[in-house]
Amino acid sequence: MQKTLRTFITIFFLFFLLPSFTGCKGQQDVKNDSLGGKIQLEVWAHAGQEKERKVLEQQVARYNQKSSTAELHLTFIPERNYNSQVQAAAIAGDLPDILEFDGPYLYNYIWQNHLLPLEGLLSQSLIADLLPSIIDQGTHGSHLYSVGSFDSGLGLYARKDMLSAINVRVPQSVSDAWSADEFKDILRKLAEEDEDGAVLDLKLNYGGEWFTYGFSPILQSTGADLIDREDYQHSTGILNSPEAVAALQNLQSWFQAGFIDPNLDDAAFTTGRVALSWVGHWEYSRYKKACPDNLILLPLPDFGEGSRTGQGSWNWGITRNCKYPDKASSFLTFLLSTPEVLAICKANSSVPGTKNAVAQSELFNENGPLRLFAAQLLGGVSIPRPKTPAYPVITTEFQKAFQQIRNNGDVQEALDKAASNIDQDIRDNHGYPFRNFQ
Amino acid sequence: MISASTDLRRRQDNKIAWFFCLPALIGLTFFIFFPFILAVFLSFTNLRLGSPLPLEFMGLSQYSRIFTDTAFLHALKNNTVFALIVVPLQTCLALLLALLINQPLRGMFIFRTLFFMPVIFPLSLVAVVWILIFAPGPQGTLNSLLELITLGSWEPRDFLHDPHLALPAITITSIWQGVGFQMVILLAALQSLPTELYEAAKVDGACRSQQFFHITLPLLKNPLIFVILVTTILAFRLFDQVQIMTRGGPNYATTTVMYEAVSAAFGSQQVARGAAMTVVFFIIVLALTLLQRYIVRQEGASS
Repeated sequence: MQKTLRTFITIFFLFFLLPSFTGCKGQQDVKNDSLGGKIQLEVWAHAGQEKERKVLEQQVARYNQKSSTAELHLTFIPERNYNSQVQAAAIAGDLPDILEFDGPYLYNYIWQNHLLPLEGLLSQSLIADLLPSIIDQGTHGSHLYSVGSFDSGLGLYARKDMLSAINVRVPQSVSDAWSADEFKDILRKLAEEDEDGAVLDLKLNYGGEWFTYGFSPILQSTGADLIDREDYQHSTGILNSPEAVAALQNLQSWFQAGFIDPNLDDAAFTTGRVALSWVGHWEYSRYKKACPDNLILLPLPDFGEGSRTGQGSWNWGITRNCKYPDKASSFLTFLLSTPEVLAICKANSSVPGTKNAVAQSELFNENGPLRLFAAQLLGGVSIPRPKTPAYPVITTEFQKAFQQIRNNGDVQEALDKAASNIDQDIRDNHGYPFRNFQ
Repeated sequence: MISASTDLRRRQDNKIAWFFCLPALIGLTFFIFFPFILAVFLSFTNLRLGSPLPLEFMGLSQYSRIFTDTAFLHALKNNTVFALIVVPLQTCLALLLALLINQPLRGMFIFRTLFFMPVIFPLSLVAVVWILIFAPGPQGTLNSLLELITLGSWEPRDFLHDPHLALPAITITSIWQGVGFQMVILLAALQSLPTELYEAAKVDGACRSQQFFHITLPLLKNPLIFVILVTTILAFRLFDQVQIMTRGGPNYATTTVMYEAVSAAFGSQQVARGAAMTVVFFIIVLALTLLQRYIVRQEGASS
């Protein structure tokens, strides 16, 4: 009962009470605006891992020291409630000048008209240096709204000795990824050698967004998708297309055959229980430590139309609340300079967001052990999550469907349901029209 | 004259009463009455969190949608099953513990503290600890314990991902966490029972079980009714354990009305749909409360 109430109190405050308090807040901001001759700017970022937070704090301090005209104030917000905090602040008219947000929420914020286009604010050469994946994700209509100092990617980590024990072909690049049939055959052979038959880790211990991020590339690799990307108006016929159903039935068969380790302890790969782990760039340092001379990185299997990977991570944007966008953008330019990009990427072991930084990164340059991730993002193999404000519904529906498939439910039924629920939400919101701007 | 003055007095008393009620009334109005009216209102709309589109009325379609939604129907069923198991079990267990702890032995306060401790722990902490207990594979605490007890014939199970075991697992966690609260209420009631009755019963030669059934139980009727009522309501708002331990899975085996409402409103950002679910939830809890009160009153009249 109290939970229900809390929910509605929140909404009650959001919609009716907060706007009345905003008047005085705004005045305070104006007073602080030119403290000590420097322009004061608010920055909100997600409270990620400690190392990452520290680096960002240092970056802000470095910027404040360097800049004679602007002073930044950094606020960390817990990752779990990040979007709700942003929504509350937006309704209260209290958004910061510079806002960090997770990639898929971008289109929601653009739809709500919270963000400024960045083209005039960042130099052409800087934009040209960004990874194509970051530009792809940051662009809506004809404008660029967000930039990121790092990006992400998926791959299969493998234990070399276990693969050589069954004598299989080892793919050298994205273009010769294992085919879906080949992959299943490999799983079977690995299982014959394995004590408990579970040979693949799909990070089932993760929650929520991981399932969409990690497994919608399977759909895209068959030519299907989560939603029709022409106009983002319907999912039926795309998410429940015969290709999508076949691909996810294939995935379900791995579960049925017992190839998948439940990985509750998050140690399936590090303890050597499985030969293959389907996960992102972030596991590299842990895996490297667990098997230093035995680790190889492979592209995800090709389900027909070529191997695909997820992409996207936290991004920066400038809100319409910002009175000095040129100052705010100078911070973004600073964050995207090569040493700063490399500093944050070292802290969270992500893929550097600019081509320059990639070239200078030990892990991601042409000969680096994680080149695959950079190559995927540079080579257009990565697919951003659907660029629509309907994304929260799309991802929840796909997660539900995935859980059903994982637990041996009917694939066609699960996907039909998900697609029709997504379509219903889009209809309820009149197709999520973008008005007044673009 | 006299009647006029008492009337005035009464009116003043009334005024003072209202004055003292005011803070509570304001709180209730703002935090319970308004939000609830708002929830009812929102459940007839298409409100999406943070939508720039104008609000539109959709009549009863949010309701017709949730009542054709398999997840929500499973949630209703799970809540019912959960309450049917938890309420009697937890009440009996709480009574048993209260009777045990009521013994005048030295060091009893240690047991009282131990049994009450889980109530103080945050539910999220309790849930995480029980995830480790229910961990799959032979290394899992419960699995290895069962293996030890059955001399190795137990097959390790993945409790939280087994459609038949997930809800029982959550039930056990909930009872373990919640039983201390009911125990303390019943213990307080037990300690206020008049000792003369037991002395008289002893003189009459009543054995302990006769004392329990003919003195303790009848005198504990009101506290027991309170405990049953509170446990029922708590059982229906089951959320934290589900959110942390199973996220409603596998195949909706552990989803609850609260879990569905929160994930609709904040996961999919469909506030209106979430509002409709909470209105249904409110009506169920209200109906149960009225039903229980009705039954109690019937019994009160008959005895």
